[in-house]
Amino acid sequence: MTTDWTPAALSRDIPAASAAPGQLGETDLAIWRSASGRIAAWSDRCPHRGMRLSHGFVRGERLSCIYHGWGYGEGGQCVRIPAHPELTPPEAIKVPVFAAAEASGVVWVADGTPAGAPPEFPGFEGFRSLRIHAPATVLARAFGGAGHVIEGTLGPCAVVALIQPLPGNVSALHLLAPEGAGPATLDALSLAAEALRRTAEAQAEQAEEETA
Amino acid sequence: MSDQGAMRDHWYPVGMTKQLTAGGRDTLLMGEPIRVYLDNGAPAVSDGTGRSLPVIDRFGHVWTSLGAPNRDLFTIPEADQPGRRLVDVGVCRVRCSPLRAVENFLDIAHFPFVHTDILGSEPHTEVQRYEVEIREDVDEVWATKVKFYQPQAAKSAEGGITTDYMYRVCAPTCSVLYKTCPPKPGEWDVIALFVQPLTETLCEVWPWMALYDDAAEMTDLIHFQQMIFVQDRSVLENQLPALLPLDPGMEIPTRADMTSIAYRRWLKRHGFTYGAQLVAA
Ligand code: FES
Ligand SMILES: [Fe+2]
Repeated sequence: MTTDWTPAALSRDIPAASAAPGQLGETDLAIWRSASGRIAAWSDRCPHRGMRLSHGFVRGERLSCIYHGWGYGEGGQCVRIPAHPELTPPEAIKVPVFAAAEASGVVWVADGTPAGAPPEFPGFEGFRSLRIHAPATVLARAFGGAGHVIEGTLGPCAVVALIQPLPGNVSALHLLAPEGAGPATLDALSLAAEALRRTAEAQAEQAEEETA
Repeated sequence: MSDQGAMRDHWYPVGMTKQLTAGGRDTLLMGEPIRVYLDNGAPAVSDGTGRSLPVIDRFGHVWTSLGAPNRDLFTIPEADQPGRRLVDVGVCRVRCSPLRAVENFLDIAHFPFVHTDILGSEPHTEVQRYEVEIREDVDEVWATKVKFYQPQAAKSAEGGITTDYMYRVCAPTCSVLYKTCPPKPGEWDVIALFVQPLTETLCEVWPWMALYDDAAEMTDLIHFQQMIFVQDRSVLENQLPALLPLDPGMEIPTRADMTSIAYRRWLKRHGFTYGAQLVAA
């Protein structure tokens, strides 16, 4: 169990009144934003029949499951069962909830209560998330750094690279670009990110062959 | 290989009779490779070692078993009534437990959310109390007096109506539903779901219908049913865990799920656990 913040998505990829799948270690998450803009990270499993909540729909401040429409509010509490409109759902029907907070356009999640707020990167904002088939260490090395938070240069500009290890030798790369960067710079940055992906995946494949 | 348990000695659909060829269809039954083919014009099935498996040709499909079934395949007497159109819908492969596919077929509460504006619509989401029993004489699960408001209950339905349903589970991976038939009040349309377990988490679903609808084109009837099933698939492939939990605790049912509760109890009682998990993980 970790009480450190893990970068799990970019704020821009989860607009108001939407949900998306995410991960925290081995745990599948439904990351969603209410109509008023509140971000939340819940277990990606509806307690009723196990449907992924990341496929659900958001109305107002509730996330509803797409299978039978059960609605969940504050703290993951089930507040509505459409098959029984008169029923007040028992308190025991609750989705496990994780900590979620936003900083510099990144959605950070944690299991438990982290000591402080997630890190800010002044002058940078969330640009793109990529899913890369390479372990975090290989990805960091391909970038020319180490660790999970790397400040450096990629293609045309300075960037912050947040590397999220995922199960199965996969990583997510959450890339932050300079605030106000123009379209040409961002296009070039996108190409550089794709190239980095190819390099990291080739190196991971090579490492795998050598150990095989 | 996972334990086939008591399900080994039951019948499963493995192909559509009309589509058989001498060359055959290579497929899987509960993890074992089998071939379904025409032998001198008659349906035949053999396993990976060349052993011949028992065959029944019924409801437009070929049925077989890896074990030794001690009873005949179920019948659907209503399907023999004159004037019905028999519709082989075809196959739909789904990455889910065969048991989850059957359970979804027994469920009406999802209509407004998964089959929006077709089989259900908000705010008509309420599931009235209905009756469920395990009929010991035939060893089947039955749900009766099921009612649901539907905007377009069938291809032949115009406008919204409250539809009456009956559900029947007649084999571990087969269910038949009876529903009000718009063109012929007092009669029931018959829709069956025959599920072929390829593995514990992969199945092929063969819907089959015996309808009084005589106006619609056959291809429209097939497309309607396929569209419904594609919507179900988007849910079935995203349930966690993939295996159907038979022990209480992992999932939380309500009164609307009485059929599903009875189905799970019936599966557990018979040791029909291929595609199920017993202990809450
Ligand atoms: S599985 Fe979520 S509401 Fe039924
Ligand atoms: Fe359905």
